[in-house]
Amino acid sequence: MKKVVTGVVGNDIHVVANRLIDISLQARGFEVFNLGVNTSLEEFIDAVVETDADILLISSLNGEAEGWCRDLQFLRSEYSLRDVVFVIGGNLAVGEAKQSDIVPKYQSYGFDLVFHQVDLNTGLDTLEAYMKERA
Amino acid sequence: MSKLLIDVGSTYFKVCQQSGISQYFRDFKKDIYDDLVTKCGNIFSQYHKEDVFICSSANGGLSTLIIGLTNSFSLKFAKNIAFNSGINIIDTILYSKIEETKAPLELVDVVIVVGGIDSISNVFDEKLLNYLQKVQYSNIVYVGTHQDAKFLVDNIPAIKILGNIITGKLHVNETELKEFLTNLYQADIVGKEDIKHLYELTSNQIYSTPYIVNRSLPLIDANFEVVNPFIVVDIGGATTDIHYSRDLVRDNILTESEYDRLVFKKLGVYKSRETLVFAAKNNEFVYELLSYLNVTENILEEESEKALRILMQLSIFLVLYKVSRLNPMYVTLHLELLKTVVLTGGITKVLSYEEVETIIVFFYKKVMNLHAIPTIVMDYEYAIWTLGMRNNEARS
Ligand code: B12
Repeated sequence: MKKVVTGVVGNDIHVVANRLIDISLQARGFEVFNLGVNTSLEEFIDAVVETDADILLISSLNGEAEGWCRDLQFLRSEYSLRDVVFVIGGNLAVGEAKQSDIVPKYQSYGFDLVFHQVDLNTGLDTLEAYMKERA
Repeated sequence: MSKLLIDVGSTYFKVCQQSGISQYFRDFKKDIYDDLVTKCGNIFSQYHKEDVFICSSANGGLSTLIIGLTNSFSLKFAKNIAFNSGINIIDTILYSKIEETKAPLELVDVVIVVGGIDSISNVFDEKLLNYLQKVQYSNIVYVGTHQDAKFLVDNIPAIKILGNIITGKLHVNETELKEFLTNLYQADIVGKEDIKHLYELTSNQIYSTPYIVNRSLPLIDANFEVVNPFIVVDIGGATTDIHYSRDLVRDNILTESEYDRLVFKKLGVYKSRETLVFAAKNNEFVYELLSYLNVTENILEEESEKALRILMQLSIFLVLYKVSRLNPMYVTLHLELLKTVVLTGGITKVLSYEEVETIIVFFYKKVMNLHAIPTIVMDYEYAIWTLGMRNNEARS
């Protein structure tokens, strides 16, 4: 069973999507470690280390993710987490923003899959396909 | 027949009878037993041994070295449990940095090794063994993933294996480690020759004072004008302790106890005065604070009644600062939610209510940007520990 660590990054308290993500992932057969809202990037990484998770799936709704995720590359190399799949989704910018700007930006921070304002099921289908391809 | 309650501190004895509490300065030339009997011999003769209850905070406590896999889980959980068991932490080591970390020079009472949920394996390896060869310790306990227990048992003599403190859902499970550490701490205090001798005065178990204070917290609001959430700041000669309601912490740790405790070994006004002054000088607010108190920096080097009062005010400020949001590397308390601050320990013998209020007003204004401050309650009689002792009797 694949293990996923999830939660909402930074000072973000929008909890509804987080609950849905937890339920949907379980329904799709993942083992879920849900850190809930208000989670720092370091806590996410630490949870991946403690559980030896396969996937880190971060959500952000209030638009402030960018400020919280810039250190991802650094933390990722600290613990040599090369095999972990990093995913982020939700509202990844403040106000209006173009997919074509946002996706490459977050990829440069070290995310493998980026879903800006993408519906959850579409996102999780893409994730599952991505995992299959890698295997 | 009434009870006699005694607290043996690092600077005072406190003796509580039906008639009230009295205090005696310790005479460090004598051992604890002789000192106590010289000062209070006539009191003891009025009580049966079964009616005498003693707790002690003399001689510090245990030193601990925690080796853990991550800051947010292993180390945080283990630190929390250790504090709650009355232990003073000396050091934590992140396992990924263990090869670059120097071993402590002094003897460590207990080493705690932790990391991983039970479904993972091969967290610990030769690196741990190599490091431990350089450490001098009396006890070692493992509370990480169960799958690595065999490797550790095979390679580390006398290692004690307990249930993983990290549950399969990444929550904390404190029961076994807490019991183990509490017993160790208890055995350490009671095992000290000085304290053993005190069993000639009581037939009841001797407890550590922080343990007793922690037990008294649920009873506090019945005896003081205290509104939840509150903190108890115990500023003594050697250390400063904060006991706080868990409502003030918004972390993901789920524990059974409602109250936690932090010990600041370096913020005492007598025994650790140098480190207190050092911490003060390195604090961004200190000059503003000193001028607000109408004194200059020179006061920190003086030996006077006035200097002592200022140091005590500084220690209140520093301890609040350390648990505020401005110091994110430490446990952060949501001080904006705080309703009551209870002050106890030696400090209530020195500072007036107004002096305490002045400093708390400054803290809330400068650090929190708030004009309203929590209610301040001064435990002048150091009555808090007697609540815990009474509570203890009821249980035993
Ligand atoms: C309810 C709500 C609140 C509630 C939250 C209550 C709670 N505890 O959850 C309250 C009132 C507290 C609140 C506060 C704020 N909010 Co608000 N809030 C909303 C609102 C109306 C609904 C959010 C919701 O629950 N939707 C239902 C869930 C199921 O949908 P969702 O969150 O969009 O998630 C879906 C997708 O995004 C996606 N998804 C999410 N994560 C991930 C991850 C992956 C990997 C994938 C694939 C998909 C995915 O899947 C979900 C299901 O399809 C939205 C507006 C809106 N209509 O979306 C604003 C909104 C999210 N809030 C917003 C803002 C700005 C705030 C505040 C900053 C407002 C303020 N100035 O105080 C604060 C922030 C507080 C904080 N520190 O976080 C903005 C964010 C703007 C941006 N990013 O550009 C929004 C979009 C409103 C707007 N249009 O301006 N908010």
